[in-house]
Amino acid sequence: MATPYYIPETNVPLPPKGAEVITTACDYCIVACGLKVYRWPVAGNGKGGPKAKDNAFDTDFPVDPLGPWVAPNQHNIVLHEDKPHHVVVIPDKDAKFVNKGGDSSLRGGCIAQKVYNPQSPTRDRLKSPMVRIFGILQPVPWDFALDIAAAVGNHVIDNHGANAYGVKTYSYQYLENTYAITKYALRHINTANFTFHDTPSDVSSTPGFRDAGFDNFGPAYEDWMNAETLLICGTDPYETKTILFTQWIMQGIQNGQKAIFMVPRRTAGVAYAEKNGGLWLDVNPGTDLLVVNAIARIIAENGWQDEEWIKNWVNNKWGSSSGFGQGTRNTPWQWRTTWGKFQTNGYDDWKKWLLAQDEFKLANASKVSGVDAKKIRKAAEWMAKPKGKKRPKTSIMIEKGFYWSNNTGNTQAISALGIIVGAGGRPGQVIGRAGGHQRGGQRGGKYPRNKSPMKLPGRRRRALDTDTYTMSGHTRLAHVIGTTWIQSMCGSQQLAKRFHELTVANPHQVRSYDKQDIIDTLKKRADSGGMVVVNQEIYLVDPIGNRYADIIFPAATWGEEDFMRANGERRLRLYQKFYDAPGEAKPDWWIIAELSKRMGFEGFDWKNSNEVAEEMSRFSRGSRKDFHQIKVAAKREGKTLHQKMREFGTNGIQGPVFMTEDGKLEGTKRLHDTQRKLSVTGPEASNVFNKKLTHFNSQTGKCNIQKSPWSLFSDYWEWMKPRGDELWCSSGRTNERWQSGFDDRRRPYIVQRWPDNYVEIHPDDAKKRGIESGDMLMVYSDRVPSLKETILGVEGSDYSFSGQMKAGNVELTRAAVTGVAMVTRHIKKGMLYMDFLHTQQPANALEGRIVDWISGNYNYKMGTAKVKKIGESPYKHTFRTMSFAPRDIT
Amino acid sequence: MNKETKTKPIAIELDQSPGQSKGDVVKEEKGHGKCLMSRRDFLFASGVTTVAMISAGPGMAKVPAMVATYPRKLVAKLSQLKTDKPIDFQYPDKGAYSESMIVKLGVEGGGGIGPKKDIVAFNYTCTHQGGDMSGSYKGDTKSLGACNLHLSTYDLTRHGILISGQAYQSLPQVLLEIDGDNIYAVAIFGLIYGRVDNLEA
Repeated sequence: MATPYYIPETNVPLPPKGAEVITTACDYCIVACGLKVYRWPVAGNGKGGPKAKDNAFDTDFPVDPLGPWVAPNQHNIVLHEDKPHHVVVIPDKDAKFVNKGGDSSLRGGCIAQKVYNPQSPTRDRLKSPMVRIFGILQPVPWDFALDIAAAVGNHVIDNHGANAYGVKTYSYQYLENTYAITKYALRHINTANFTFHDTPSDVSSTPGFRDAGFDNFGPAYEDWMNAETLLICGTDPYETKTILFTQWIMQGIQNGQKAIFMVPRRTAGVAYAEKNGGLWLDVNPGTDLLVVNAIARIIAENGWQDEEWIKNWVNNKWGSSSGFGQGTRNTPWQWRTTWGKFQTNGYDDWKKWLLAQDEFKLANASKVSGVDAKKIRKAAEWMAKPKGKKRPKTSIMIEKGFYWSNNTGNTQAISALGIIVGAGGRPGQVIGRAGGHQRGGQRGGKYPRNKSPMKLPGRRRRALDTDTYTMSGHTRLAHVIGTTWIQSMCGSQQLAKRFHELTVANPHQVRSYDKQDIIDTLKKRADSGGMVVVNQEIYLVDPIGNRYADIIFPAATWGEEDFMRANGERRLRLYQKFYDAPGEAKPDWWIIAELSKRMGFEGFDWKNSNEVAEEMSRFSRGSRKDFHQIKVAAKREGKTLHQKMREFGTNGIQGPVFMTEDGKLEGTKRLHDTQRKLSVTGPEASNVFNKKLTHFNSQTGKCNIQKSPWSLFSDYWEWMKPRGDELWCSSGRTNERWQSGFDDRRRPYIVQRWPDNYVEIHPDDAKKRGIESGDMLMVYSDRVPSLKETILGVEGSDYSFSGQMKAGNVELTRAAVTGVAMVTRHIKKGMLYMDFLHTQQPANALEGRIVDWISGNYNYKMGTAKVKKIGESPYKHTFRTMSFAPRDIT
Repeated sequence: MNKETKTKPIAIELDQSPGQSKGDVVKEEKGHGKCLMSRRDFLFASGVTTVAMISAGPGMAKVPAMVATYPRKLVAKLSQLKTDKPIDFQYPDKGAYSESMIVKLGVEGGGGIGPKKDIVAFNYTCTHQGGDMSGSYKGDTKSLGACNLHLSTYDLTRHGILISGQAYQSLPQVLLEIDGDNIYAVAIFGLIYGRVDNLEA
């Protein structure tokens, strides 16, 4: 095994005066920092000088701290209109929002290394369509690949039904693409076998927020700064949405904000908060609900709740379950609540329930969660105890560490806590998600829930679980777009085994030079119970593309096409094209359009991404990203939508966007803004004033305060919790690596930092097992639970984990993943932590492939595993690669 | 201390032909080969040099170039260094961001010198956005930082690699040589924040 090393450049070309400046935003985390691309031709040997008069920044070098320095990783060479050009990509030093003054993380800071350059490790970008012929993916012309995909696709739909055509896609790689993909999959194919990259079923990620009436992304970034107490659950924003922390929360902490982190790892943001008077609630995996409800209980017992807010903004029985409530209509909210497990008649009813649950008593919550009772009490005081008549301004932020362990329970509990402390609807008093990826979803069709075979008690349907459905052999064509699918889902290794059986182990393999022969073979594969895989990607992904795909479509991405997208405060920007996509790679909207036309679907005659954007704008109306009025304004001014978006530069505009009486565009700072005064003339023409602007997302516009019983989840938690020498095994992002590492694996510096997956383990747990930092570990389990068939049941209780176990629908399987030991003080004792999406060493293999039986999401963050040393990694005794120092140094 | 032997830029001729790596063509300054060799060892003789490089296409056989080299500067005495007690110095000049430190880690570090290979030196300026990290050395973790601007931390046992944080590259490592009891700074590995070139302040 070679040790990766990286030799830094020691000088870098500066953009000369006259270099073109193109605005865009970062491709990675939810924050989407504004960036500027400086581009100038290689021909002519033009290069800026260190004097202000000689460079495009008008700045003397060396620059001041925070200045427009160009690190060597911020330079690259690209083809633009087929001619070599230098590009320097740095955060926009003029940014007024988001990354004010030009801050950036390591990820976005080095994004110049992402762009295709055949002299860099990006050289393996997919450059032409391919078809697997005689077992090898071989380049073919677009027509050849598209004709095959269209013919087989139509055959599958005609002979096996629309649900046999599975579409597994990213939800966020730009509005134009997601619109085209969902128009194709949901409106035209109309398949229920459809979901996004992070969930087996197309369901709400935060069911409790949905029920309470909270939008996931209502808050403005300034609210996180302006809160006096901020509870952050299941994430360290410093690690995973850096600028949200460094530009906003960190400023808040410096202004005296009390930051409370509820996470099992003490990473840099947590350590910073603690150093500045904050609090770390070091919760055991899966026990967040107990801590949240213990806090709520202390608040309720002491009468610290926000009475005024509750009186004005919380539904009573009339508002939530009868009369003006949602009634008996078939909504996700309703089929969860009709069991009577969640809904209440208002605050008093909720309080009565809360106080009657012994498991929420402080002593018990502290014992099970492993969080010191004193800290829980302190959190309750900080969040709600009034000083005299003044209440603290409290906000609550959640993310996946929290909502992907007890998905329904945790999100219900935190919503109720948010409601009683008055979070939501006022400056500095908000509740929302921190966010993971950016918000680039725009539906071009409606999910056909009625076509899903997944039924819940009362004959109600839930979105189809595409993993179980595929495991059961019902997916005959899997169209996979921009996701690894397998490693991103729980029980990854079982999924991989099944994919293998359905594809390469099927007898019908392409061994022909003739297009019609190839089509016929793949049809036979589908008819025989096998599966055909079409994969749309920027790189060849292992195994979905590399091993299983029959057809590969090469996609163009960031910087290679004009695209629109929003960030975590709904800020819409145009991400501009600044260089040529490699080879024949095409944007996903184009690929989908070409496929659709061949399959006989109408409405896919777009000539460019702006035409897609202009078509979809009306479907955004009423949504948190509503940008329709930008198009209206553009047309009035004789511009295209993209041209108008370009004018907003890196500052963009926050959705929903309105047009005021005098024709100006106005954005929305925060949703549920109870203090906002809307135009008195109200909505006119295509202006939409959605309820969420000034109220909450419920029938009445008030919040629903709901119960969150531990008992609906405790059977699974008790069964999962470590036995013998097992440890909890959780996973998540690390600052330096984004998603599957599709770019980071091709950045020498990041490969040097994180060459393999790692396994964080507490020094006490490590010592017991004879493990030292740098050892190569085997992390394994003999009891990864997995659903065998689509859930079977009649009564509500049949659907619980115990019910499914009793019915024999849970299979226990083995899983094994290797990783490099990182013995560290920053992780809680009793648990392991790995990178969540290392494609070679997928931590999700160890997570139970059991959906949250109420919501349909996976609880990714709470597997269990054994761990043992199998040798030493090459990084243990060498100095160039990895670091084993803790992440909590302040 | 701090006796300096600054080398003036010299002009040399590059005889560059296609396929030849850039590092092979740099003539070493007479009498100063030790410095360049140690640096080249450090770089695995990979063909990257500290000197200004010229891009030459095929057909450009002889290209005159100005090549600046690093000064050799006395920065500490071996007998003076105590474990985990950094000594500050400026390098490669006294211009912006030249503040650096030398420390005896007490454990072996990448690029370390001395009998235990535990003496290393680094530039103090955070390679994210130029925060000054002087005084932030931590003996328990052998690290610099957290930078007070955006909290980046660096592992001094591992060539200044980023531990946690936002920097765009490792902390520039100052390469050292020992001559008797004298420790000299002789070059820098990695670009110093704020500069276009390490030798242009």
